[in-house]
Amino acid sequence: MRHLPSSLKIPFPERAGAALKDASLQEALTNATTKFIGLRKDAFASLPQGDLLRDRARAIKEATLERLDYYLEMLADNVERLGGRVHWAATGEEARDIILQLCGDRGVKTVVKSKSMATEEIELNEALEHAGVTPVETDLGEYIIQLAREKPSHIIVPAIHKTKGQVAVLFSHALKGRFAADPEVLTAVARKELRQKFLQADMGITGANFAVAETGTIVLVTNEGNGRMVTSLPRIHVALMGIEKVIPSMTDLVVFLAILARSATGQKLSVYTTLVRGPRQHGELEGPEEFHLVLMGSGRSNQISGELREALYCLRCGACLNVCPVYRQIGGHAYGYTYPGPIGILLTAMLNGDHAVKDLAHASSLCGACHEVCPVRIDIPRMLIELRQRLDRERIAPLAERGVFRVFGRVLASPTLFRLSATLGRMAQRPFVREGRLGSLPLVFGKWTKTRDLPPVASRTFSERWKELR
Amino acid sequence: MATRADFLSRIRKEVRRTPGLFPASTAIPPDRPSEAAAAIRRQMSERWPEALERFKQEFERVSGVFHRVTHIEEVPGVIQALAREKDARELITWEPGELGLDLRPHLEPQGLSVTVAPSDAQDGARLSYREAAARAQIGVTGADFVLAETGTLILISGSGRPRSTSLLPETHITIFGKERMLETLEQVGVVLEDLHVDPTGTMSGAVINFITGPSRTADIELTLTRGVHGPKEVHAIFVESL
Repeated sequence: MRHLPSSLKIPFPERAGAALKDASLQEALTNATTKFIGLRKDAFASLPQGDLLRDRARAIKEATLERLDYYLEMLADNVERLGGRVHWAATGEEARDIILQLCGDRGVKTVVKSKSMATEEIELNEALEHAGVTPVETDLGEYIIQLAREKPSHIIVPAIHKTKGQVAVLFSHALKGRFAADPEVLTAVARKELRQKFLQADMGITGANFAVAETGTIVLVTNEGNGRMVTSLPRIHVALMGIEKVIPSMTDLVVFLAILARSATGQKLSVYTTLVRGPRQHGELEGPEEFHLVLMGSGRSNQISGELREALYCLRCGACLNVCPVYRQIGGHAYGYTYPGPIGILLTAMLNGDHAVKDLAHASSLCGACHEVCPVRIDIPRMLIELRQRLDRERIAPLAERGVFRVFGRVLASPTLFRLSATLGRMAQRPFVREGRLGSLPLVFGKWTKTRDLPPVASRTFSERWKELR
Repeated sequence: MATRADFLSRIRKEVRRTPGLFPASTAIPPDRPSEAAAAIRRQMSERWPEALERFKQEFERVSGVFHRVTHIEEVPGVIQALAREKDARELITWEPGELGLDLRPHLEPQGLSVTVAPSDAQDGARLSYREAAARAQIGVTGADFVLAETGTLILISGSGRPRSTSLLPETHITIFGKERMLETLEQVGVVLEDLHVDPTGTMSGAVINFITGPSRTADIELTLTRGVHGPKEVHAIFVESL
């Protein structure tokens, strides 16, 4: 990372606190996440083989990672055979430089982009602007976010936190008109505005939902059709993807297609699934003259055998965000990095290092809802616990936290200390018990009781009662 | 910049540490994709009526409009009625050989302008078709496969079958017959394997598009809105005798 996002100048607890006080954000989050949970549930109810497909999808991801070098080479060879060019970027900086250089060498002035978390991750838009190239986000949600100069707050619905009134004001300002706060009207405005951009742009930049090694195919899944525009109209197409997106065959692809849209939006398939192989082929009237595939290892390469490797299976469907009791309360921005939600914490640790998740690692109740809905069954809670352990081991966790838990650990490990602390606790807690709950504790313990109660030590502990019962 | 060799050797080093970490296998592609695809075609030559019924249901569920005619000669009439309803004046179509019919003799006398895709890709033709596509209100294509379980049209780009015909106009109309029917995504997987057996053979273009209903978004307050970038309406005309 060149610099910290400005959102990170405020510590996480304060970012989360601010989100909790934002009433309109709270309403938007509840509406959206509740709706998506319902849609996903219905979609899987009509797919009796859903569980089997999820197991299979997971196995494909595992098997691909196990031979990732082989599949990446195969993908690269096939893309080149079809007339495309493959670029290798070990880091996000390298990926940015490759794309900037392509723009420079080819006199690119305007770039149209379809939604891509990978480009968000490397802050490509800022880099393009800095180099004098105009990037235009064309996914409606991303377009709104770009006009507002904000960051996406949900992987699937980037502008989940914006009201139609706010969008109308944004559009009126940016496009010099007066537009009603009506989604239908605003969508039509964006269609007209962006249509011109598609036809004029020199370069289209996309991510990739999947890349099929055996055929050299990049797969884009969209609902709006912007992915098709971006890959058909400009003279150059650049696709940026993390190395973990490669899958072996078309047979594998259809397994993922069956579960991806169901998990994300509850659709059986998204409106457009676009399979792209290289530049315009012989005899074709349309399509780019040049196709570039940028393969990005950033943060991923050294996790193939690492503790976070399961996070490399992620399809970016957003299902774990919708069910997460923490995400549902604080929304995406409070997390502060590109990827929010439970999986976002792990991806942030992977991409930005352990220090970045010092606080975020605790932004989970470990309830397991994310694990349950994940289409490839990523065990997020297990990895979060391991992450917390590592933060402790590496002394990244705050001193007070490490101290408290060390003492707590000792006490739990020794029956004598445990009994003694129960007796002491019973006495010490007396001034603080209100209506059978510990509502506010002094000193460092107050941080716990500030937002939740703690059950008091029982007047007779279980082991005391057990003695009598026997 | 990392070189390919450096990049891959780094990955290889990591991969060498994985044995035992993953209890895994990929999906097994068919041994002989061409034979498997032929078997599906045989199966579908019996089962197409059920598949078509399912397609109609799913296609309508995603807001597609289904039409059914007996002969190809009736198709121009359906399109003409749609053009009148939408007050459309310009149409673009695939090259007549690819589409299975030439709409010009039927629709031009009715005062409609019809631009058909050229089969050769000259630069001049490229520009003029693109301009026509940007102006046209209706785009008419065929379909390579029609997937029942999701209500999906599958179109392969290529000579005489431009990508923008089904993308730029506000209304997209697809004409298809029973031999295009598939029932499941799994069958689509087999067919895709078959298409790529000989990469220079069956498939000429660079793009395969799965189209499941009109373009849509719910990015503003989750309000479902159609036609954000692609077509607002998608029509499928099933021709019995095709």
